Amino acid sequence: MSNRTLGLMMGAVALLIVAVAVVFVLVLSGGDGDDGDDTPARPATESADRDDVGDDRSDQEADDRDDGDRATGGICGENRLVTFGDDPATVFDPIQVGDASTAEYTAEIFGGLVTLNLDLEVVPDIAERWEITDGGRVYTFFLRDDVVFHNGRRVTADDVKYSLERAADPANFSPTVLDYLGDIVGVRDKFNGRADDISGVQVVDEYTLRIELTEPISYFLQQLTYTVAYVVDQEQIEDDPNNWTRRPNGTGPFRVKTFRPLEEIVLIPNDRYHLGPPRVDEVVFSLSGGSLSTRFQNDEIHVALVPAVELAGVLSGESELSEFYRPVPQLSFFYLGFNVNEPPFDDPLVRQAFAHAINREAINEVLFFDAALVADGILPPTLPGYSEAISTYPYDPERAAELLAQSRYADDMPRIVLTFSGGGGDPPDNLQAYQQQWREALGVEVEIEAIEWSAYLRELRRGTFQMYSAGWIADYPDPENFLGKLFSGESRLNHTGYASERVDALLDEAATLGDQEARYRLYHQAEQLIIDDAPIIPTFWTISHYLVRECVQNWVDPGTIVPKYRYIEIDTSGE
Amino acid sequence: MSQGLAGYVIRRLLWTVPVIVAISILVFLLLRLAPQDPIDSLLGQRYDEEIAQRLRAKYGYDRPLHIQYLKYVQNLFQGDLGVSTRHGDFSVAEVIVPKIRVSAGMNVMAMILVFGLGIPVGVYAALVRGSFLDPLIIGFWLLIDSIPVFVSAVVAPWLFALQLGWVDLTYEGVLHPNIILPVFVMSLPGVAGVARLMRASVIQVSNEEYVRTARAKGLRERTVVVSHVVRNALLPMVTAIGLSLPGLFTGSLFVELLFGIPGIARESLQAVLGFDFDVVLGLVLFGSVLFVLANILIDIAYGFIDPRIRITAARGA
Repeated sequence: MSNRTLGLMMGAVALLIVAVAVVFVLVLSGGDGDDGDDTPARPATESADRDDVGDDRSDQEADDRDDGDRATGGICGENRLVTFGDDPATVFDPIQVGDASTAEYTAEIFGGLVTLNLDLEVVPDIAERWEITDGGRVYTFFLRDDVVFHNGRRVTADDVKYSLERAADPANFSPTVLDYLGDIVGVRDKFNGRADDISGVQVVDEYTLRIELTEPISYFLQQLTYTVAYVVDQEQIEDDPNNWTRRPNGTGPFRVKTFRPLEEIVLIPNDRYHLGPPRVDEVVFSLSGGSLSTRFQNDEIHVALVPAVELAGVLSGESELSEFYRPVPQLSFFYLGFNVNEPPFDDPLVRQAFAHAINREAINEVLFFDAALVADGILPPTLPGYSEAISTYPYDPERAAELLAQSRYADDMPRIVLTFSGGGGDPPDNLQAYQQQWREALGVEVEIEAIEWSAYLRELRRGTFQMYSAGWIADYPDPENFLGKLFSGESRLNHTGYASERVDALLDEAATLGDQEARYRLYHQAEQLIIDDAPIIPTFWTISHYLVRECVQNWVDPGTIVPKYRYIEIDTSGE
Repeated sequence: MSQGLAGYVIRRLLWTVPVIVAISILVFLLLRLAPQDPIDSLLGQRYDEEIAQRLRAKYGYDRPLHIQYLKYVQNLFQGDLGVSTRHGDFSVAEVIVPKIRVSAGMNVMAMILVFGLGIPVGVYAALVRGSFLDPLIIGFWLLIDSIPVFVSAVVAPWLFALQLGWVDLTYEGVLHPNIILPVFVMSLPGVAGVARLMRASVIQVSNEEYVRTARAKGLRERTVVVSHVVRNALLPMVTAIGLSLPGLFTGSLFVELLFGIPGIARESLQAVLGFDFDVVLGLVLFGSVLFVLANILIDIAYGFIDPRIRITAARGA
């Protein structure tokens, strides 16, 4: 090899190294400045300076902060909450939100006429009080006069009307507006392009708004707490229709300081929040980083979830994590659904036999390490309107066999397929356990089939499943959200095909009744009737297993979407 | 650069066009032929046929496939890769560029580690060939190489964060020291390969006559090794480095998932799971273009180094 060749070769190596170095510089130079540049929608607040300080926090500053942490006793040394979150599935536009993770952030940034407190009761937000007239058909809201957007602009009845009409605007494709606001007179007309405004929403004066419903709906205020009814800033949206959601100008207790998808969301207080400003300096939702529980043990994060493998140790009190353990029942439940119009589940006896045959207690203990609660009903225990008196079919294999023997399909059982949403591999343990228990108690062989999530949902809508595994999470804390949505003969979310005149009559009556206790009693009757008819087998209520640092005060998870971070305080005294 | 080389490069570049077109059509069709689309994913449980139809019209998914593809290509020529349905109409570039920066930043560090460690280790192993140190060193790195990333990515945090307390696991950006652990986890298994390549190359070069000549001239051993052996033995490294260049812009899925790093691999997974058509297409096209270009770059570099390759290629093409 000649010297010239060698020189050329070294040159080529040098070229590659330079290329790598250039890439490196490009990568790092552009890395951090993005959020500020890309977000022209920043509201012009009086405290705009504060916005700027934190925006492009360089890594150098991050280093300094870390050092500070160490000096003052770890993560509890600062008045900021570090918790985890999921990447939002949609933008921070209240009318587009359909998933729980985006709803959680949106509920902190925006507000509506009413909101929920930590006990899941409807309480005033932008509306100071309201009057219900005309037999529950007309709601008159009297707005507070001290509510401002984050940028300081005052909120009036016109803003509320604009927000509701924007939600119903067909050009905005809101997936939730009909479910939550569809009972307001004129919303459907506007949504279907037959009207320019919502006739049922009238601005009486600057601080008075009247909403007219097509019929009296006793859970209307609960529906109004959902994000689709939140108030947005018309000026901001019209100024920057495409990018305003990156730094939305809401009326909620927090403002967005940083949002880096898959990385982190940082919220900072709205100091002029009318219900009392937050007490922490910021809330960091970490969307990235390593194992939550390891980071929790390593003093990097205030809130984490207990990993499944450690749950038994944590529950027994033997784990060093036990002292931080906080179980929170969720407003959700899992169930097995039947297609009540197709053999063999068109015979209630078969459904009841299947319900009697499964041993949910054993599954919870053995497979779940008691991570869940056996659902002895449909409505979860923390839901307002829950009744202990409801009961489901207990595990009773003999009775199950008897019922099956009496059924139409005793000697002629068709092929049965249970479908669940999932990828490859084995079906979930609990489904395999049901399969085995049905085989043992009833001598029936059930096939289990996995199907991809979107396809699962589509087939669910079409009602093609014979039997399926599903879950339901409350959108608003009212029994109607479970019983009406899943079991009313008219609901589009009723996928079992179940239709009972008695149940429908009870649900209809409960939907319009003003007296809360009387309503709940009607729902209890309906719930027990549904369980006895067994279009579904309720299986488990879910519990979230949290770990929370002791310095975090007033940490509550009410089990559904509620603005909750403004209550939190960090005890920095080092106790 | 000779005319032959220039013509060769131009021909190679022209050939990339049909390759990229073929890839784009294939991926486009694969995505469109799936039993669901981004709207199904977007609406999920709240799916409503009417809203879905409106959304499909908005994104153009209701039009015939060839029209959709031509529209995509037309936008592509205007530098528009489309929008992400998962991220509320953020442009594809806006979604993927920050992720590419993160992965590329980590990959550059990993590459420096792999070659920075692998080359000296390989040279050393070759020099001590015959002694017990040679198999010991190479064996050690092979052992590291044989630990799967999904094991080390679980064990390493436990060891270095919890037990030793050296690092934190919170992701704070590519320049923050917290990135060291994931970079080590993803790069250390690669050291063995480089070390063995370098070792073999050094041994081969050591047997060359010019090395014997250098020794015969009475040059100091140090000079012989550094100036004659190692410099020549680096040639295969050009290929190795060149081949790893397109890899700079890909991510390590296990590392990104287990360390929660917002890189390109995690984004790709999410995009595929969420049926984010334009993002998936954008990622695939980006990767293909890089791969093709990197291959051309290597060929050109080889042409510089070894005229024989250039001539053969020019004649053959």
